[in-house]
Amino acid sequence: MDKQLDLLQGTLDMLILKAASLGPLHGYGILLRIQQISKDRLEIQQGSLYPALYRLEHQGWITSEWGESENKRRAKYYRLTAAGKRRLQTETENWKRMANVIAGILQTSPEEV
Amino acid sequence: MSWGARIASWTQAMLGRSQMESEMDAELRFHMEAYADDLVREGVPRQEAMRRARLEFGGLDRAKEECREARGVTFVERLLQDVRYGLRTLAKAPGFTAVAILTLALGIGANTAIFSVVYAVLLKPLPFANPEQLVSVFEANPQEGVPVTAFSYMNLEEMREQNHVFSEMAGNQSHDLTLTGQGDPSTVHTAVVTPELFSLLETQPLAGRTFFPEDGKKGAAPVVIVSENLWRSTLGADPKIIGNAINLDKRAFTVIGIMPAGFHFPLLRQSPDIWIPLVQDPLFGGWMARRGGHWLPVTGRLKPGVTVAQAQAEMDTIGRRLATEFPAENTGWVIRVEPLQKEIVGDVKPALLVLLGAVGLVLLIACANIANLLLMRATSRTKEMAVRIALGAGRARIVRQLLTESAVLGLLGGVAGILLAAWGVQGLGALLPADLPQVHAIRVDGWVLGFALLLSLGASFIFGLAPALFAADSNVQASLKEGGGRAGEGGGRQRARSFLAVAEIALAMVLLVAAGLLVRSFVTLTSVSPGFNVQHILKAEVSLPQFQYSTPEQWNAFTNELLGRIQADPGLRDSAVGVPLPLMSNGFINLGFDIPGNPPASAGTNRTADYAAVSPEYFRVMEIPLLRGRTFTQEDIMSAARVTVISQAMARLYFPNQDPLGKRLVFGFPPDGGNISREIVGIVDDVRDVTLNKDPGAMMYVPYAQAPFWGAVVVVKTTLSPSSVAATIRQEVRKIDKDLPVTDVETMEGIVDASVAQPRFRTLLLGLFGAMALVLAASGIFGVISYGVSCRTHEIGIRIALGATPGKVLWLILGESAKLLLLGLAFGIPAALGLGRFLSNLLFGVRPADPVTFVGVATLLTLVAVAASYAPTRRAMRVDPMTALRYE
Repeated sequence: MDKQLDLLQGTLDMLILKAASLGPLHGYGILLRIQQISKDRLEIQQGSLYPALYRLEHQGWITSEWGESENKRRAKYYRLTAAGKRRLQTETENWKRMANVIAGILQTSPEEV
Repeated sequence: MSWGARIASWTQAMLGRSQMESEMDAELRFHMEAYADDLVREGVPRQEAMRRARLEFGGLDRAKEECREARGVTFVERLLQDVRYGLRTLAKAPGFTAVAILTLALGIGANTAIFSVVYAVLLKPLPFANPEQLVSVFEANPQEGVPVTAFSYMNLEEMREQNHVFSEMAGNQSHDLTLTGQGDPSTVHTAVVTPELFSLLETQPLAGRTFFPEDGKKGAAPVVIVSENLWRSTLGADPKIIGNAINLDKRAFTVIGIMPAGFHFPLLRQSPDIWIPLVQDPLFGGWMARRGGHWLPVTGRLKPGVTVAQAQAEMDTIGRRLATEFPAENTGWVIRVEPLQKEIVGDVKPALLVLLGAVGLVLLIACANIANLLLMRATSRTKEMAVRIALGAGRARIVRQLLTESAVLGLLGGVAGILLAAWGVQGLGALLPADLPQVHAIRVDGWVLGFALLLSLGASFIFGLAPALFAADSNVQASLKEGGGRAGEGGGRQRARSFLAVAEIALAMVLLVAAGLLVRSFVTLTSVSPGFNVQHILKAEVSLPQFQYSTPEQWNAFTNELLGRIQADPGLRDSAVGVPLPLMSNGFINLGFDIPGNPPASAGTNRTADYAAVSPEYFRVMEIPLLRGRTFTQEDIMSAARVTVISQAMARLYFPNQDPLGKRLVFGFPPDGGNISREIVGIVDDVRDVTLNKDPGAMMYVPYAQAPFWGAVVVVKTTLSPSSVAATIRQEVRKIDKDLPVTDVETMEGIVDASVAQPRFRTLLLGLFGAMALVLAASGIFGVISYGVSCRTHEIGIRIALGATPGKVLWLILGESAKLLLLGLAFGIPAALGLGRFLSNLLFGVRPADPVTFVGVATLLTLVAVAASYAPTRRAMRVDPMTALRYE
């Protein structure tokens, strides 16, 4: 297993939106999905997940409803809203642009300056 | 997120708060259980799995708190939470809470009550449409030192016609008329007005109409507007009264309208019972055609957009024009314009502001007391705070929670204070001087409630902030290590408490000095001899209807017969007539005069003297000593040579190095008909006729028989009861004319008393505030010293164990209070000296830096400080070293 990375500031929201965009999930499910997609390379503080979920819901990007979990327990499921989909799109584009720029800067060799 | 959605989310959050909490709990529990399930599946024992799930989740409470915060409703929620918590903690300390609320209730109650007076008198807009447009217009003669006086009707007419700044101008005077034909004859307080007054004030009658301009013309039929009060009390609330006549001074006036009870104009003194056009008044109506004279106060309404300064400029021009066109009457006179409200409030403003300032100081002292209590409480709550900080509460969070607690306390005190004020304002009603303007507007209304509310919150902030900041500064480590409930307290806190006690002493010093100065002024004022006998003197007034009694001969005949009949009664032998009497609330007469042969008064000097027409017995009855010459006799009648008696001050002022006896004075009062030369036949001692606090001025007396009035004020020296004297006089008056009312039966003591109503009012209140300050300061000193002793029990125990004598311990504790006291006085004395400046024009016979007051107050505070330290000092001296050392 690769070394675990601390989450970059502000990226948790984006990851949650992405995870929720793949289908309705409860909080624990979102955590598992992020870890699964990232192949356990990302460390997410469990306690910090829920404030983020509440914040995103308050902002109207995800919405929640109570349902039944795989093992027949009541769980709260989060789903992306239309606004959330747009938000995820812009966030993704921004991230890509930013990653390109940063990568470009980091790859710069002394001769190119 | 839109505002609508935000509010919806808020409301939903507020309403569904408990539901949300339980859902959040369920959600987080589900998370941990699901995680534990997964761990169990991986082979971890269930108990261990649950433990790891909890551990890896991190701080559950903090997560929940962050979730609540993320939901964006925490401010209100937290406020409610803090309020609930505050109420709980206050309920847990009922003693502290009761003392704090009581202290605050007194402070806020007194402030609210005084503010209700200040608001009604100084701040509340006058009860008329667009009150800011209303101005008072008056004449002044700077050359002769006449600051404020009124107009002649003809000058009012000139101003009305020539000005472009007023939409309306009107004059009004007051007069008493006799109402007959409605039960016993009675005197009605009458406003004598030009018809424009009602349209100027833009008021509507309750029924009927107000005056038309024609009602004010010469030859118009007599009409009257009655007040709702008179209509209900005397006219039987008969709606058919409109169009019917009532008899005023034995003349029929048709009632045309009824003014609602809320309408008062003029606003001063007692509200009028009726309004009649100037032209119908038996006295002032006759003066309308004279250009000279200054008897008609004028009110104006500025046109929209016109400023007082613009109006003043225009009036300056008109004043100059009048002086050019009619130099005989108008030379030297200027016209002044002033906002009506300012004019009405007049000289009560400084006294009211001093009272408001004083009561504010009382509240400050109360706040210092409560801050002290809170600081002590904070010390015993150090551990609670430390635990909260250890659990992750931020400094701001703790400060906010403690401030909320203070605000809860402040509002509880405020509510109690408002109740106290509502009750106090009623009590104040009896105390209020009758000549305070706008008295009927004083009540606890919305504005006053708002003020009380703001005051409560402001006070909570003042007394709550420092204790809250100290509490949030708790050293967590130290506090948690200390086992006992009483953790050691930092030097900062001790200093803060001492500072508060010092501040209390200083503030109390300021207040007590102010109270002391006013009390001493009042005592001096009331012990001043007015120059005449006050005891056993009774007065009663009879006013003669001028349509029936229209000539001076008739007035004389009536008065002579009345006086003869009264003097025939053995108990009332010592009676006389005098108009006006000294110190009466309805004023005095001041006239200009000339001394033939002496050069005319130079510009800038004010050659006037107060005037009274008296019967020969007057000086004997009033016990005004004759110094030289003679007083009046029965021979000084109209057909005899005209004579006058002057006061000593007049002799000194206008006849320096001369013998006034045998000299002549030229003067006259309208009923007496203008300027008449009179010989000075006597000099009497001075009398304070205007107010007790002014040195007696020049005074000239004339025989009533040579200058009669349309009425008489009878003074009687008697030991009989006022009611029996009044009954006798009434009976005698009725024998002469059954339709004449006898009014205003008063003792001279009552008149003198009423003349000092305003100083008494402010002295009483300031004395009350001083007493409150003293009690609060005493309890503040007691608190600090007593707490200091209990903190030092251990130390005192060691000292005693090491051989300190009780005497040493006594001085140890007394030294503490002495330090506080001396510091308090060191700040308080200069502050009190500085404050004296504001008081100086309320003082009489006492300097603002009066040493007696200062020494007295300092001594009083010292005694109070010693008394307040008595119980704690005894406790300290009785400390048992064994118990003290085992303690903790």
